[in-house]
Amino acid sequence: MNRRDAPALLVARDVTIAYGKVAAVRGVSFEIRAGEVVTIVGPNGAGKTTLLAGLMGLLPLRGEVERFGAVSTPPPSVEQLVRAGMGLIPERRELFATLSVEDNLRLGGFARWRQGARDGAANLERIYTLFPRLRERRCQQAGTLSGGERQMLAMGRALMARPKLLLLDEPSLGLAPLIIHELFRIIDELRAGGVSILLVEQNARAALKLADYAYVMESGSFVLDGPAAELARNERVIDAYLGLAPDDGPQTRSRESSSRMPSRGTEDHMSD
Amino acid sequence: MRAPLPLIIAIVGIAAAPLLLPDYYVTLMNYVGLASLVALGLVLLTGIAGLTSFGQAAFVGLGAYVTAVVTTRYGWSPWLGLAIGLALTAAVSLFLGFITLRLSDQYLPLGTIAWGISIYFAFGNLAFLGEHTGIPGIPRLSLFGWTIDAGWQLYLVIWLVVLLALLAARNLLDSRIGRAIRTLNGHTRMAEAFGIDTGRLKIFVFVCSALLASLAGWLYAHFLRYVSPSPFGIDAGIDYLFMVVIGGSAHIWGAVVGALVLTLLQEWLKDLLPHLLGHNGNYEIIVFGLLVVLLLHRASGGLLPFLARMFPSSERSVPPKAVAPLPRRPRAIEGETLLAIDRVSKNFGPVAAVSELSFELKAGSIVGLIGPNGAGKSTVFNLATGLQPVTAGSILFRGQRIERLGSREIAKLGIARTFQHPNLLADRSALENAVIGAHLRGQSGLIAASLRLERAEEARLRDEATRQLERVGLGRNLHDAAGSLPLGSQRILEVARALCADPLLLLLDEPAAGLRHLEKLALAALLRNLRDSGISILLVEHDMNFVMGLADRVVVMEFGRLIAEGAPHAVRSNPAVLEAYLGAAA
Repeated sequence: MNRRDAPALLVARDVTIAYGKVAAVRGVSFEIRAGEVVTIVGPNGAGKTTLLAGLMGLLPLRGEVERFGAVSTPPPSVEQLVRAGMGLIPERRELFATLSVEDNLRLGGFARWRQGARDGAANLERIYTLFPRLRERRCQQAGTLSGGERQMLAMGRALMARPKLLLLDEPSLGLAPLIIHELFRIIDELRAGGVSILLVEQNARAALKLADYAYVMESGSFVLDGPAAELARNERVIDAYLGLAPDDGPQTRSRESSSRMPSRGTEDHMSD
Repeated sequence: MRAPLPLIIAIVGIAAAPLLLPDYYVTLMNYVGLASLVALGLVLLTGIAGLTSFGQAAFVGLGAYVTAVVTTRYGWSPWLGLAIGLALTAAVSLFLGFITLRLSDQYLPLGTIAWGISIYFAFGNLAFLGEHTGIPGIPRLSLFGWTIDAGWQLYLVIWLVVLLALLAARNLLDSRIGRAIRTLNGHTRMAEAFGIDTGRLKIFVFVCSALLASLAGWLYAHFLRYVSPSPFGIDAGIDYLFMVVIGGSAHIWGAVVGALVLTLLQEWLKDLLPHLLGHNGNYEIIVFGLLVVLLLHRASGGLLPFLARMFPSSERSVPPKAVAPLPRRPRAIEGETLLAIDRVSKNFGPVAAVSELSFELKAGSIVGLIGPNGAGKSTVFNLATGLQPVTAGSILFRGQRIERLGSREIAKLGIARTFQHPNLLADRSALENAVIGAHLRGQSGLIAASLRLERAEEARLRDEATRQLERVGLGRNLHDAAGSLPLGSQRILEVARALCADPLLLLLDEPAAGLRHLEKLALAALLRNLRDSGISILLVEHDMNFVMGLADRVVVMEFGRLIAEGAPHAVRSNPAVLEAYLGAAA
């Protein structure tokens, strides 16, 4: 059960990412192990999206990132990282709006095809099995899809490259509750299939429920980390990111915990 | 206000040039000045408003030929030539603007090439314009009996005009109209939703750029004292566009930098290359092309942003002065029917996005509009704000039918909206983006803006935007580029911009998406506060806890139809809603 014993796919040591003089990510260290979902929770502007872009080679970063057991110098390009098995699904989805659903998927598999792999048809079939809705819409222009279908297509496109590590930025953004539910089921399925996932997600409750391990990011730094189930019970995480939940049943639980005296500064190093 | 260092260097350099440079270079600098004027028009037209024109040289020719004919054939004053030239250019550009600026994408540049070529051939073929030989013997300019004769005198006149034009352009861009012009580049839907007449504004910018070109043509004619068709062809039009691209199309000084670099480089290469290569030929064009490719590779925004990086940025925020707040429109009476959607349908071809939808929104309430993705919620917003016409049915705002009105008219009535995908000018500050929302609350136009006579109004508009940004919690991000804000904050900035319009009804499309728990609590508090201050809200949102805790009524849509409506708790336990939207688990 403990996925923390698996080998590390990505280890970041003291990573800093700056726009000009302003550091958006400051000295962050963490790791993602094979077959686990790691989530980063934090407010808007904490630097989460910037961190994902840096890990994916889209922004220059200081510090050391070990990907798939190796640190390469000079820093690898985004193309090299895709070939090595990393994929990013950006928060704006960034689909090719005028191409069909199937062409979008095919483009996702382009790097693999260039490397000589000829399993495109099988991969396409795999994606259609995972997202039956995309099969129904295969000939439709991507720009005409609904919000949920767009996110499915963005995920499907990334999966066409058969990544080992997927960086997911706000997958539930703008989606209706039923679809969010479906989406998290699929992320769970992907993990079962051996894909590791780094998840940045506004719906902290759902993310912590699904993830194995979690980090809390505020103003560019990690202020707290631990197994996701533990963080979901952490007082400050509840106050800042979960709130009372009338639906899921943890209402009683959070009432209990808020009636306890807060044990500030014992296990976390959160600063307000 | 302190002028930034690079600006001082540039102005001192321009003033000192005729004293330091040999005559040949003074003449060259005269050409640079004339080209700068044309390029400045193109910065406004292409760089800022996003409308590409290859035909500017034709307007230069118009200005030059008119004064040539007026002064040589009729013996009138060059100043009359200027007046007639500008008037004719305005008329021609208005006409061309009406027929070509409706064109979109690649068709607009093609259209400008077409009329650019036509006007060029008109110069070459009309007998009274001297056909291809042109018109010689144009008189010198004279000013208060003082004849402008020597190269340096002309230099002073030309560059004085250039500096004045730059000043006017700077003032214009830093004004209400200038902000509206910036929205033309890819944000016309948003601009119309805040009452900006984008069609008229496009023609206005086009006429401005043509007048600058015509002015340059007039100076050119009296400087060279001879006109022929060749400098007004499509080649020259391409050169002007090149100058803007090289210099930096997003900034007015990019026009001067581009004109300087292109003119000098072409001149030097013409001299240098035959020496290097040992024989004559038009090698400069080839080398020049390679240099431009290299430049665009290294500095895709042009040279100016590249140079600007060498100087410390001199950004400063002017401390706000106390100004009288803008007047607000009278509030609606609580309980009156503000918005009534009555059996509205919208078809896209065979697809019914909205069918037979009816619901009402009372003043002083918050109504939540929910439903699965693709249910037609955003379409309802587009219909209510005039972005798309209804297929059938009627929409009433305070009893007035609005389903046939355009976005601008609806904005004037007091409906403001946010967009599902933030529609912001990414490289402008949060403050400048928010002020766009207050467009209809100002009146100042071109003349006032160019002469800075509208500062009092401008201060009030900015003050309003500052207040609304502080109200939504973005008070610390006033001067941050909108595109640099996290996505969640961009949505909140959209709310602030809508508030600047002083709306009676606010349509919010997923304002809480991407926000965290505490941020959502703050937003909910803000929306309640807005409702209590007399702004009614129609809200599309997927976070059920957010909607249920906030809305007075909830309307549920699926496949374009209304499937439930009522108080939040009743809707929440409605079996049809659970089935279609919430799912059993929620």
